[in-house]
Amino acid sequence: MEATRSDDPSLNPIRNRNPNPNPNPNPLSTIISSAQVWPTIDGPLGLTEEASVDYARRFYKFGFALLPWLWFVNCFYFWPVLRHSRAFPQIRNYVVRSAIGFSVFTALLSAWALTFSIGGEQLFGPLYDKLVMYNVADRLGLSGLA
Amino acid sequence: MDRNQRPRSILDSLGEELIAILTPVSICSFTVVLLVCILNSDPSSSSASFSSIATAAYSESDSDSSWDKFVGALLNSVVFVAAITVATFVLVLLFYLRCVKFLKFYMGFSAFIVLGNLGGEILVLLIDRFRFPIDSITFLILLFNFSVVGVFAVFMSKFSILITQGYLVWIGVLVAYFFTLLPEWTTWVLLVALALYDIAAVLLPVGPLRLLVEMAISRDEDIPALVYEARPVIRNDSRSVQRRVWREQRSSQNNANRNEVRVVESAEVEEEHVGSSERAEISVPLIDRRPEQAENSETFLEGIGLGSSGAIKLGLGDFIFYSVLVGRAAMYDLMTVYACYLAIIAGLGITLMLLSVYQKALPALPVSIMLGVVFYFLARLLLEVFVVQCSSNLVMF
Repeated sequence: MEATRSDDPSLNPIRNRNPNPNPNPNPLSTIISSAQVWPTIDGPLGLTEEASVDYARRFYKFGFALLPWLWFVNCFYFWPVLRHSRAFPQIRNYVVRSAIGFSVFTALLSAWALTFSIGGEQLFGPLYDKLVMYNVADRLGLSGLA
Repeated sequence: MDRNQRPRSILDSLGEELIAILTPVSICSFTVVLLVCILNSDPSSSSASFSSIATAAYSESDSDSSWDKFVGALLNSVVFVAAITVATFVLVLLFYLRCVKFLKFYMGFSAFIVLGNLGGEILVLLIDRFRFPIDSITFLILLFNFSVVGVFAVFMSKFSILITQGYLVWIGVLVAYFFTLLPEWTTWVLLVALALYDIAAVLLPVGPLRLLVEMAISRDEDIPALVYEARPVIRNDSRSVQRRVWREQRSSQNNANRNEVRVVESAEVEEEHVGSSERAEISVPLIDRRPEQAENSETFLEGIGLGSSGAIKLGLGDFIFYSVLVGRAAMYDLMTVYACYLAIIAGLGITLMLLSVYQKALPALPVSIMLGVVFYFLARLLLEVFVVQCSSNLVMF
Protein backbone atom coordinates (compact mmCIF):
# COMPACT_ATOMS: atom_id res chain seq x y z
CA MET A 1 0.00 0.00 0.00
CA GLU A 2 0.97 3.55 -0.27
CA ALA A 3 3.42 5.23 1.95
CA THR A 4 2.03 8.52 0.84
CA ARG A 5 -0.66 8.49 3.42
CA SER A 6 1.45 10.51 5.80
CA ASP A 7 1.22 13.54 3.60
CA ASP A 8 -2.21 12.79 2.41
CA PRO A 9 -4.20 15.97 1.90
CA SER A 10 -7.18 14.24 3.41
CA LEU A 11 -5.48 14.34 6.78
CA ASN A 12 -5.12 18.03 6.47
CA PRO A 13 -7.80 19.44 8.75
CA ILE A 14 -8.56 22.24 6.34
CA ARG A 15 -9.96 20.57 3.29
CA ASN A 16 -11.59 22.26 0.43
CA ARG A 17 -14.21 20.43 -1.47
CA ASN A 18 -12.68 21.02 -4.85
CA PRO A 19 -10.46 18.31 -6.18
CA ASN A 20 -6.87 19.29 -5.84
CA PRO A 21 -5.23 20.35 -9.02
CA ASN A 22 -2.85 17.60 -9.86
CA PRO A 23 0.07 17.50 -12.21
CA ASN A 24 -1.22 14.37 -13.90
CA PRO A 25 -2.42 15.22 -17.37
CA ASN A 26 -5.06 12.52 -17.28
CA PRO A 27 -8.35 14.17 -18.13
CA LEU A 28 -10.36 11.58 -16.23
CA SER A 29 -8.74 12.29 -12.93
CA THR A 30 -9.43 15.97 -13.12
CA ILE A 31 -13.08 15.48 -13.79
CA ILE A 32 -14.39 14.41 -10.46
CA SER A 33 -17.29 16.79 -10.33
CA SER A 34 -20.61 15.15 -10.09
CA ALA A 35 -22.13 17.25 -12.82
CA GLN A 36 -20.89 14.97 -15.54
CA VAL A 37 -22.80 11.80 -16.20
CA TRP A 38 -20.65 8.90 -17.25
CA PRO A 39 -21.94 6.54 -19.88
CA THR A 40 -20.71 3.39 -18.22
CA ILE A 41 -21.69 1.76 -14.99
CA ASP A 42 -18.17 2.18 -13.67
CA GLY A 43 -18.52 5.92 -13.68
CA PRO A 44 -15.25 7.80 -13.79
CA LEU A 45 -13.36 4.53 -14.01
CA GLY A 46 -15.05 3.52 -17.20
CA LEU A 47 -14.97 4.74 -20.74
CA THR A 48 -15.27 8.20 -22.09
CA GLU A 49 -18.21 8.99 -24.28
CA GLU A 50 -16.38 8.70 -27.58
CA ALA A 51 -14.88 5.34 -26.77
CA SER A 52 -18.16 4.00 -25.47
CA VAL A 53 -19.93 4.62 -28.76
CA ASP A 54 -17.34 2.40 -30.34
CA TYR A 55 -17.71 -0.26 -27.65
CA ALA A 56 -21.50 -0.22 -27.76
CA ARG A 57 -21.49 -0.64 -31.49
CA ARG A 58 -18.99 -3.49 -31.37
CA PHE A 59 -20.87 -5.34 -28.67
CA TYR A 60 -24.11 -4.91 -30.55
CA LYS A 61 -22.65 -6.29 -33.75
CA PHE A 62 -20.87 -9.19 -32.08
CA GLY A 63 -24.03 -10.17 -30.29
CA PHE A 64 -25.51 -11.38 -33.53
CA ALA A 65 -23.16 -14.34 -33.41
CA LEU A 66 -25.60 -16.14 -31.10
CA LEU A 67 -24.39 -14.17 -28.09
CA PRO A 68 -27.37 -12.80 -26.16
CA TRP A 69 -25.24 -12.71 -23.03
CA LEU A 70 -23.05 -10.17 -24.76
CA TRP A 71 -26.13 -8.04 -25.40
CA PHE A 72 -27.02 -8.30 -21.76
CA VAL A 73 -23.50 -7.28 -20.75
CA ASN A 74 -23.82 -4.36 -23.14
CA CYS A 75 -26.98 -3.17 -21.41
CA PHE A 76 -25.47 -3.78 -17.98
CA TYR A 77 -22.31 -1.91 -18.77
CA PHE A 78 -24.10 1.09 -20.24
CA TRP A 79 -26.86 1.15 -17.69
CA PRO A 80 -26.59 4.94 -17.10
CA VAL A 81 -27.35 5.42 -20.78
CA LEU A 82 -30.68 3.68 -20.32
CA ARG A 83 -31.46 5.58 -17.17
CA HIS A 84 -30.73 9.08 -18.43
CA SER A 85 -32.73 8.87 -21.59
CA ARG A 86 -31.79 12.23 -22.95
CA ALA A 87 -28.04 12.02 -22.84
CA PHE A 88 -25.84 9.99 -25.17
CA PRO A 89 -28.14 9.54 -28.15
CA GLN A 90 -25.73 7.49 -30.20
CA ILE A 91 -24.91 5.01 -27.48
CA ARG A 92 -28.55 4.75 -26.51
CA ASN A 93 -29.40 3.60 -29.99
CA TYR A 94 -27.18 0.53 -29.75
CA VAL A 95 -27.96 -0.22 -26.13
CA VAL A 96 -31.70 -0.22 -26.66
CA ARG A 97 -31.35 -2.46 -29.68
CA SER A 98 -29.14 -4.80 -27.63
CA ALA A 99 -31.78 -4.91 -24.92
CA ILE A 100 -34.47 -5.78 -27.43
CA GLY A 101 -32.27 -8.44 -28.98
CA PHE A 102 -31.51 -9.94 -25.62
CA SER A 103 -35.18 -10.11 -24.64
CA VAL A 104 -36.22 -11.71 -27.92
CA PHE A 105 -33.43 -14.27 -27.83
CA THR A 106 -34.05 -15.11 -24.19
CA ALA A 107 -37.75 -15.54 -24.83
CA LEU A 108 -37.07 -17.94 -27.69
CA LEU A 109 -34.40 -19.88 -25.87
CA SER A 110 -36.33 -20.22 -22.65
CA ALA A 111 -39.43 -21.26 -24.58
CA TRP A 112 -37.43 -24.07 -26.13
CA ALA A 113 -35.68 -25.04 -22.89
CA LEU A 114 -38.87 -25.05 -20.85
CA THR A 115 -40.70 -27.04 -23.48
CA PHE A 116 -37.93 -29.55 -23.40
CA SER A 117 -37.66 -29.91 -19.67
CA ILE A 118 -41.36 -29.82 -18.88
CA GLY A 119 -42.46 -31.84 -21.88
CA GLY A 120 -39.88 -34.49 -21.24
CA GLU A 121 -40.40 -37.96 -22.51
CA GLN A 122 -44.10 -37.60 -23.20
CA LEU A 123 -43.64 -34.86 -25.71
CA PHE A 124 -40.49 -35.94 -27.40
CA GLY A 125 -40.43 -39.67 -27.08
CA PRO A 126 -37.10 -41.23 -27.95
CA LEU A 127 -35.78 -37.86 -29.06
CA TYR A 128 -35.67 -36.75 -25.43
CA ASP A 129 -33.11 -39.33 -24.51
CA LYS A 130 -31.00 -38.34 -27.44
CA LEU A 131 -30.99 -34.65 -26.60
CA VAL A 132 -30.86 -34.44 -22.83
CA MET A 133 -27.52 -33.35 -21.55
CA TYR A 134 -26.65 -36.04 -19.10
CA ASN A 135 -27.18 -38.73 -21.67
CA VAL A 136 -25.15 -36.85 -24.22
CA ALA A 137 -22.40 -36.48 -21.64
CA ASP A 138 -22.47 -40.16 -20.84
CA ARG A 139 -22.34 -41.09 -24.46
CA LEU A 140 -19.40 -38.82 -25.13
CA GLY A 141 -17.72 -39.85 -21.92
CA LEU A 142 -17.56 -36.31 -20.60
CA SER A 143 -18.82 -36.96 -17.14
CA GLY A 144 -15.88 -39.07 -16.13
CA LEU A 145 -13.09 -36.55 -15.98
CA ALA A 146 -10.96 -37.85 -18.78
CA MET B 1 -21.54 13.74 7.60
CA ASP B 2 -19.11 16.49 6.98
CA ARG B 3 -15.80 15.06 6.06
CA ASN B 4 -14.05 18.29 6.74
CA GLN B 5 -14.33 17.68 10.43
CA ARG B 6 -13.25 14.08 10.49
CA PRO B 7 -10.39 13.21 8.17
CA ARG B 8 -10.33 9.62 7.06
CA SER B 9 -7.79 7.73 9.04
CA ILE B 10 -5.51 5.19 7.56
CA LEU B 11 -7.69 2.45 9.00
CA ASP B 12 -10.71 3.45 6.95
CA SER B 13 -8.98 3.25 3.63
CA LEU B 14 -6.84 0.30 4.56
CA GLY B 15 -9.87 -1.65 5.65
CA GLU B 16 -11.67 -0.83 2.45
CA GLU B 17 -8.82 -2.10 0.34
CA LEU B 18 -8.36 -5.19 2.45
CA ILE B 19 -12.02 -6.08 2.09
CA ALA B 20 -11.82 -5.45 -1.62
CA ILE B 21 -9.17 -8.14 -1.96
CA LEU B 22 -10.42 -10.51 0.72
CA THR B 23 -13.90 -10.76 -0.73
CA PRO B 24 -12.95 -12.36 -4.05
CA VAL B 25 -10.49 -14.71 -2.33
CA SER B 26 -13.24 -15.80 0.04
CA ILE B 27 -15.76 -16.21 -2.76
CA CYS B 28 -13.30 -18.29 -4.75
CA SER B 29 -12.49 -20.54 -1.79
CA PHE B 30 -16.12 -20.91 -0.84
CA THR B 31 -17.13 -21.89 -4.36
CA VAL B 32 -14.35 -24.45 -4.61
CA VAL B 33 -15.32 -25.95 -1.24
CA LEU B 34 -18.92 -26.07 -2.42
CA LEU B 35 -17.96 -27.82 -5.65
CA VAL B 36 -15.76 -30.26 -3.80
CA CYS B 37 -18.48 -31.11 -1.32
CA ILE B 38 -21.10 -31.55 -4.03
CA LEU B 39 -19.09 -33.41 -6.62
CA ASN B 40 -16.84 -35.50 -4.44
CA SER B 41 -19.42 -37.02 -2.20
CA ASP B 42 -18.89 -40.30 -3.96
CA PRO B 43 -15.59 -41.70 -2.69
CA SER B 44 -15.44 -44.46 -5.23
CA SER B 45 -14.87 -42.02 -8.05
CA SER B 46 -11.30 -41.40 -7.10
CA SER B 47 -8.97 -39.23 -9.00
CA ALA B 48 -7.03 -42.15 -10.29
CA SER B 49 -7.99 -41.29 -13.81
CA PHE B 50 -6.84 -37.73 -13.50
CA SER B 51 -3.40 -37.40 -14.93
CA SER B 52 -1.56 -34.26 -15.67
CA ILE B 53 1.88 -32.84 -15.68
CA ALA B 54 1.70 -32.83 -11.93
CA THR B 55 1.43 -36.58 -11.79
CA ALA B 56 3.80 -37.33 -14.62
CA ALA B 57 6.57 -38.67 -12.47
CA TYR B 58 4.55 -40.76 -10.12
CA SER B 59 0.90 -41.54 -9.81
CA GLU B 60 -0.19 -42.32 -6.36
CA SER B 61 -2.12 -45.42 -5.56
CA ASP B 62 -3.58 -46.47 -2.28
CA SER B 63 -1.38 -49.46 -1.83
CA ASP B 64 1.94 -47.65 -1.65
CA SER B 65 3.63 -47.05 1.64
CA SER B 66 3.83 -43.59 3.10
CA TRP B 67 7.46 -43.18 2.27
CA ASP B 68 6.84 -44.17 -1.35
CA LYS B 69 4.03 -41.72 -1.60
CA PHE B 70 6.14 -38.97 -0.15
CA VAL B 71 9.03 -39.57 -2.50
CA GLY B 72 6.65 -39.82 -5.42
CA ALA B 73 5.01 -36.57 -4.43
CA LEU B 74 8.41 -34.91 -4.23
CA LEU B 75 9.25 -36.09 -7.71
CA ASN B 76 5.94 -34.82 -9.02
CA SER B 77 6.49 -31.45 -7.43
CA VAL B 78 10.00 -31.13 -8.80
CA VAL B 79 8.78 -31.92 -12.28
CA PHE B 80 5.94 -29.46 -11.99
CA VAL B 81 8.01 -26.62 -10.60
CA ALA B 82 10.59 -27.21 -13.30
CA ALA B 83 7.88 -27.01 -15.93
CA ILE B 84 6.60 -23.79 -14.46
CA THR B 85 10.07 -22.30 -14.39
CA VAL B 86 10.63 -23.12 -18.02
CA ALA B 87 7.30 -21.66 -19.01
CA THR B 88 7.94 -18.50 -17.05
CA PHE B 89 11.30 -18.03 -18.64
CA VAL B 90 9.66 -18.45 -22.02
CA LEU B 91 7.25 -15.75 -20.97
CA VAL B 92 10.13 -13.51 -19.94
CA LEU B 93 11.76 -14.11 -23.29
CA LEU B 94 8.61 -13.28 -25.19
CA PHE B 95 8.11 -10.16 -23.18
CA TYR B 96 11.70 -9.21 -23.81
CA LEU B 97 11.19 -9.62 -27.55
CA ARG B 98 8.08 -7.49 -27.28
CA CYS B 99 5.72 -10.08 -28.66
CA VAL B 100 2.87 -8.33 -26.99
CA LYS B 101 0.21 -9.18 -29.52
CA PHE B 102 1.05 -12.84 -29.36
CA LEU B 103 0.92 -12.85 -25.59
CA LYS B 104 -2.37 -11.04 -25.56
CA PHE B 105 -3.86 -13.41 -28.09
CA TYR B 106 -2.51 -16.35 -26.16
CA MET B 107 -4.11 -15.12 -23.00
CA GLY B 108 -7.47 -14.71 -24.60
CA PHE B 109 -7.23 -18.13 -26.14
CA SER B 110 -6.25 -19.78 -22.90
CA ALA B 111 -9.11 -18.06 -21.10
CA PHE B 112 -11.44 -19.44 -23.74
CA ILE B 113 -10.05 -22.93 -23.29
CA VAL B 114 -10.33 -22.79 -19.52
CA LEU B 115 -13.82 -21.37 -19.53
CA GLY B 116 -15.11 -23.57 -22.30
CA ASN B 117 -13.35 -26.81 -21.56
CA LEU B 118 -13.04 -26.88 -17.80
CA GLY B 119 -16.18 -24.87 -17.25
CA GLY B 120 -18.11 -27.15 -19.53
CA GLU B 121 -16.82 -30.19 -17.74
CA ILE B 122 -17.74 -28.87 -14.31
CA LEU B 123 -21.20 -27.97 -15.56
CA VAL B 124 -21.65 -31.40 -17.09
CA LEU B 125 -20.62 -32.98 -13.80
CA LEU B 126 -23.13 -30.84 -11.96
CA ILE B 127 -25.87 -31.64 -14.43
CA ASP B 128 -25.08 -35.30 -14.13
CA ARG B 129 -25.11 -35.16 -10.37
CA PHE B 130 -28.44 -33.39 -10.13
CA ARG B 131 -30.04 -34.96 -13.23
CA PHE B 132 -30.97 -31.53 -14.45
CA PRO B 133 -33.21 -31.85 -17.52
CA ILE B 134 -31.43 -29.45 -19.77
CA ASP B 135 -30.95 -30.30 -23.40
CA SER B 136 -27.65 -30.21 -25.17
CA ILE B 137 -28.54 -27.41 -27.58
CA THR B 138 -29.40 -24.97 -24.83
CA PHE B 139 -26.39 -26.06 -22.85
CA LEU B 140 -24.04 -25.51 -25.74
CA ILE B 141 -25.45 -22.09 -26.50
CA LEU B 142 -25.14 -21.02 -22.88
CA LEU B 143 -21.62 -22.37 -22.54
CA PHE B 144 -20.55 -20.72 -25.76
CA ASN B 145 -22.00 -17.40 -24.62
CA PHE B 146 -20.35 -17.61 -21.26
CA SER B 147 -16.93 -18.46 -22.66
CA VAL B 148 -16.91 -15.85 -25.40
CA VAL B 149 -17.94 -13.05 -23.09
CA GLY B 150 -15.30 -14.28 -20.66
CA VAL B 151 -12.69 -13.95 -23.36
CA PHE B 152 -13.91 -10.42 -24.00
CA ALA B 153 -13.66 -9.63 -20.32
CA VAL B 154 -10.12 -10.93 -20.08
CA PHE B 155 -8.95 -9.65 -23.40
CA MET B 156 -10.28 -6.16 -23.44
CA SER B 157 -8.83 -3.75 -21.05
CA LYS B 158 -11.73 -1.40 -20.70
CA PHE B 159 -14.52 -3.65 -19.68
CA SER B 160 -17.01 -3.63 -16.90
CA ILE B 161 -14.97 -4.01 -13.74
CA LEU B 162 -17.54 -6.14 -12.00
CA ILE B 163 -17.88 -8.59 -14.86
CA THR B 164 -14.14 -8.85 -15.35
CA GLN B 165 -13.64 -9.55 -11.66
CA GLY B 166 -16.42 -12.12 -11.72
CA TYR B 167 -14.88 -13.92 -14.65
CA LEU B 168 -11.43 -13.92 -13.11
CA VAL B 169 -12.79 -15.41 -9.91
CA TRP B 170 -14.67 -18.00 -11.94
CA ILE B 171 -11.55 -18.95 -13.90
CA GLY B 172 -9.77 -19.29 -10.58
CA VAL B 173 -12.51 -21.55 -9.26
CA LEU B 174 -12.38 -23.79 -12.33
CA VAL B 175 -8.64 -24.26 -12.32
CA ALA B 176 -8.54 -24.70 -8.55
CA TYR B 177 -11.18 -27.40 -8.65
CA PHE B 178 -9.22 -29.36 -11.15
CA PHE B 179 -6.13 -29.03 -9.06
CA THR B 180 -7.88 -30.51 -6.08
CA LEU B 181 -8.29 -33.68 -8.08
CA LEU B 182 -4.61 -34.43 -7.79
CA PRO B 183 -3.56 -37.16 -5.38
CA GLU B 184 -3.33 -36.06 -1.80
CA TRP B 185 0.35 -36.26 -1.03
CA THR B 186 1.20 -34.67 -4.35
CA THR B 187 -1.09 -31.75 -3.62
CA TRP B 188 0.45 -30.90 -0.29
CA VAL B 189 4.05 -31.27 -1.35
CA LEU B 190 3.26 -29.32 -4.51
CA LEU B 191 1.78 -26.44 -2.54
CA VAL B 192 4.84 -26.19 -0.33
CA ALA B 193 7.15 -26.45 -3.33
CA LEU B 194 5.28 -23.69 -5.11
CA ALA B 195 5.43 -21.45 -2.07
CA LEU B 196 9.21 -21.88 -1.93
CA TYR B 197 9.44 -21.36 -5.66
CA ASP B 198 7.44 -18.18 -5.40
CA ILE B 199 9.86 -16.75 -2.88
CA ALA B 200 12.76 -17.63 -5.13
CA ALA B 201 11.20 -16.31 -8.29
CA VAL B 202 10.12 -13.00 -6.87
CA LEU B 203 12.91 -12.10 -4.52
CA LEU B 204 16.04 -13.56 -6.06
CA PRO B 205 17.76 -11.35 -8.63
CA VAL B 206 17.69 -14.10 -11.24
CA GLY B 207 14.11 -15.03 -10.60
CA PRO B 208 12.05 -14.86 -13.77
CA LEU B 209 9.26 -12.90 -12.21
CA ARG B 210 11.63 -10.32 -10.92
CA LEU B 211 13.18 -9.98 -14.36
CA LEU B 212 9.72 -9.54 -15.79
CA VAL B 213 8.88 -6.89 -13.29
CA GLU B 214 12.06 -4.97 -13.90
CA MET B 215 11.54 -5.10 -17.64
CA ALA B 216 8.04 -3.83 -17.26
CA ILE B 217 9.22 -1.01 -15.08
CA SER B 218 12.02 -0.02 -17.37
CA ARG B 219 9.72 0.03 -20.35
CA ASP B 220 6.90 1.52 -18.39
CA GLU B 221 4.48 -1.07 -19.62
CA ASP B 222 2.10 -3.40 -17.98
CA ILE B 223 2.54 -7.08 -18.28
CA PRO B 224 -0.36 -8.75 -19.91
CA ALA B 225 -1.51 -11.45 -17.59
CA LEU B 226 -4.49 -12.55 -15.60
CA VAL B 227 -4.42 -10.42 -12.51
CA TYR B 228 -7.25 -9.59 -10.26
CA GLU B 229 -7.37 -5.90 -9.64
CA ALA B 230 -9.54 -4.56 -6.92
CA ARG B 231 -11.62 -1.61 -7.90
CA PRO B 232 -9.56 1.51 -7.43
CA VAL B 233 -11.01 3.81 -4.90
CA ILE B 234 -11.91 7.27 -6.09
CA ARG B 235 -11.72 9.98 -3.57
CA ASN B 236 -12.36 13.64 -3.84
CA ASP B 237 -9.00 14.39 -2.43
CA SER B 238 -7.47 12.94 -5.55
CA ARG B 239 -5.36 10.61 -3.55
CA SER B 240 -5.69 8.19 -6.38
CA VAL B 241 -3.58 10.56 -8.41
CA GLN B 242 -0.75 10.15 -6.03
CA ARG B 243 -0.89 6.42 -6.37
CA ARG B 244 -0.59 6.51 -10.06
CA VAL B 245 2.85 7.96 -10.16
CA TRP B 246 4.34 4.98 -8.52
CA ARG B 247 6.29 2.83 -10.81
CA GLU B 248 7.52 0.16 -8.52
CA GLN B 249 4.08 -1.18 -8.07
CA ARG B 250 4.05 -2.62 -11.52
CA SER B 251 6.74 -5.01 -10.56
CA SER B 252 4.34 -6.90 -8.44
CA GLN B 253 2.38 -7.84 -11.48
CA ASN B 254 5.32 -9.65 -12.89
CA ASN B 255 5.66 -11.79 -9.94
CA ALA B 256 2.14 -12.69 -10.31
CA ASN B 257 2.80 -13.88 -13.80
CA ARG B 258 4.69 -16.85 -12.76
CA ASN B 259 2.14 -18.38 -10.65
CA GLU B 260 -0.45 -17.90 -13.22
CA VAL B 261 1.56 -19.75 -15.69
CA ARG B 262 1.88 -22.46 -13.24
CA VAL B 263 -1.69 -22.72 -12.58
CA VAL B 264 -2.73 -22.55 -16.07
CA GLU B 265 -0.44 -25.18 -17.22
CA SER B 266 -1.56 -27.72 -14.78
CA ALA B 267 -5.10 -27.03 -15.68
CA GLU B 268 -4.44 -27.54 -19.29
CA VAL B 269 -2.53 -30.66 -18.84
CA GLU B 270 -5.16 -32.43 -16.94
CA GLU B 271 -6.59 -33.57 -20.20
CA GLU B 272 -3.47 -35.60 -20.81
CA HIS B 273 -2.14 -33.42 -23.54
CA VAL B 274 1.22 -32.24 -22.56
CA GLY B 275 1.64 -30.04 -25.55
CA SER B 276 3.82 -27.12 -24.90
CA SER B 277 1.51 -25.03 -26.99
CA GLU B 278 -1.19 -25.41 -24.41
CA ARG B 279 1.05 -24.18 -21.73
CA ALA B 280 2.02 -21.24 -23.70
CA GLU B 281 -1.56 -20.35 -24.10
CA ILE B 282 -2.08 -19.94 -20.51
CA SER B 283 0.81 -17.77 -19.83
CA VAL B 284 -0.11 -15.22 -22.41
CA PRO B 285 -0.05 -11.86 -20.83
CA LEU B 286 -2.23 -9.09 -21.93
CA ILE B 287 -0.36 -5.92 -22.29
CA ASP B 288 -2.42 -2.89 -21.94
CA ARG B 289 -0.99 0.51 -21.77
CA ARG B 290 -3.28 2.77 -19.91
CA PRO B 291 -2.29 6.17 -18.79
CA GLU B 292 -5.74 6.66 -17.39
CA GLN B 293 -6.94 5.66 -14.06
CA ALA B 294 -8.66 2.39 -14.19
CA GLU B 295 -6.80 0.06 -16.43
CA ASN B 296 -6.92 -3.59 -15.74
CA SER B 297 -3.97 -5.44 -16.97
CA GLU B 298 -4.92 -8.98 -16.62
CA THR B 299 -1.93 -11.08 -15.98
CA PHE B 300 -2.19 -14.52 -14.71
CA LEU B 301 0.26 -13.67 -12.04
CA GLU B 302 0.93 -14.43 -8.51
CA GLY B 303 2.26 -11.95 -6.20
CA ILE B 304 0.69 -8.86 -4.94
CA GLY B 305 1.21 -5.26 -5.51
CA LEU B 306 -0.40 -2.05 -6.40
CA GLY B 307 -1.67 -1.45 -9.86
CA SER B 308 -0.82 1.69 -11.64
CA SER B 309 -4.15 3.08 -10.60
CA GLY B 310 -3.36 2.41 -6.99
CA ALA B 311 -5.65 -0.53 -6.64
CA ILE B 312 -4.29 -3.68 -5.10
CA LYS B 313 -3.51 -6.37 -7.60
CA LEU B 314 -3.42 -10.01 -6.71
CA GLY B 315 -2.37 -12.55 -9.24
CA LEU B 316 -4.86 -15.17 -10.24
CA GLY B 317 -2.42 -17.92 -9.34
CA ASP B 318 -2.70 -16.87 -5.73
CA PHE B 319 -6.46 -17.23 -5.87
CA ILE B 320 -6.06 -20.64 -7.37
CA PHE B 321 -3.60 -22.03 -4.87
CA TYR B 322 -5.41 -20.65 -1.87
CA SER B 323 -8.54 -22.33 -3.14
CA VAL B 324 -6.67 -25.56 -3.85
CA LEU B 325 -5.51 -25.64 -0.26
CA VAL B 326 -8.96 -25.01 1.11
CA GLY B 327 -10.51 -27.44 -1.36
CA ARG B 328 -8.13 -30.19 -0.40
CA ALA B 329 -8.88 -29.47 3.25
CA ALA B 330 -12.56 -29.82 2.41
CA MET B 331 -11.91 -33.32 1.20
CA TYR B 332 -11.06 -34.34 4.71
CA ASP B 333 -13.56 -32.50 6.85
CA LEU B 334 -15.12 -29.08 7.22
CA MET B 335 -13.21 -28.45 10.41
CA THR B 336 -9.95 -28.34 8.50
CA VAL B 337 -11.65 -26.01 6.01
CA TYR B 338 -12.32 -23.46 8.71
CA ALA B 339 -8.79 -23.72 10.07
CA CYS B 340 -7.19 -23.40 6.65
CA TYR B 341 -9.45 -20.57 5.54
CA LEU B 342 -8.59 -18.52 8.61
CA ALA B 343 -4.93 -19.27 8.13
CA ILE B 344 -5.03 -18.13 4.53
CA ILE B 345 -6.85 -14.93 5.34
CA ALA B 346 -4.37 -14.19 8.10
CA GLY B 347 -1.50 -14.89 5.71
CA LEU B 348 -3.01 -12.59 3.12
CA GLY B 349 -3.40 -9.85 5.68
CA ILE B 350 0.23 -10.26 6.70
CA THR B 351 1.30 -10.13 3.08
CA LEU B 352 -0.66 -6.93 2.51
CA MET B 353 0.94 -5.37 5.52
CA LEU B 354 4.37 -6.37 4.28
CA LEU B 355 3.42 -4.85 0.96
CA SER B 356 2.68 -1.55 2.61
CA VAL B 357 5.99 -1.71 4.43
CA TYR B 358 8.23 -2.74 1.57
CA GLN B 359 6.48 -1.01 -1.31
CA LYS B 360 7.48 -3.48 -3.92
CA ALA B 361 6.27 -6.64 -5.54
CA LEU B 362 5.94 -9.44 -3.07
CA PRO B 363 5.14 -13.10 -3.41
CA ALA B 364 1.69 -13.66 -2.01
CA LEU B 365 1.88 -17.42 -1.74
CA PRO B 366 4.47 -18.29 0.89
CA VAL B 367 3.01 -16.88 4.08
CA SER B 368 -0.53 -18.06 3.42
CA ILE B 369 0.44 -21.48 2.12
CA MET B 370 2.80 -22.17 4.99
CA LEU B 371 0.25 -21.09 7.56
CA GLY B 372 -2.45 -23.04 5.77
CA VAL B 373 -0.44 -26.24 5.58
CA VAL B 374 0.61 -25.99 9.22
CA PHE B 375 -2.94 -25.33 10.33
CA TYR B 376 -4.26 -28.20 8.24
CA PHE B 377 -1.98 -30.74 9.80
CA LEU B 378 -2.44 -29.35 13.28
CA ALA B 379 -6.21 -29.41 12.87
CA ARG B 380 -6.23 -32.87 11.40
CA LEU B 381 -3.85 -34.45 13.87
CA LEU B 382 -4.51 -32.60 17.08
CA LEU B 383 -7.62 -30.47 16.92
CA GLU B 384 -9.96 -33.09 15.55
CA VAL B 385 -9.33 -35.57 18.28
CA PHE B 386 -9.86 -32.93 20.92
CA VAL B 387 -13.02 -31.49 19.41
CA VAL B 388 -14.57 -34.86 18.68
CA GLN B 389 -13.91 -36.06 22.21
CA CYS B 390 -15.38 -32.88 23.66
CA SER B 391 -18.46 -33.00 21.48
CA SER B 392 -19.17 -36.65 22.02
CA ASN B 393 -18.95 -36.13 25.75
CA LEU B 394 -21.07 -32.99 25.50
CA VAL B 395 -18.39 -30.74 26.90
CA MET B 396 -18.88 -27.26 25.52
CA PHE B 397 -16.82 -24.15 25.93
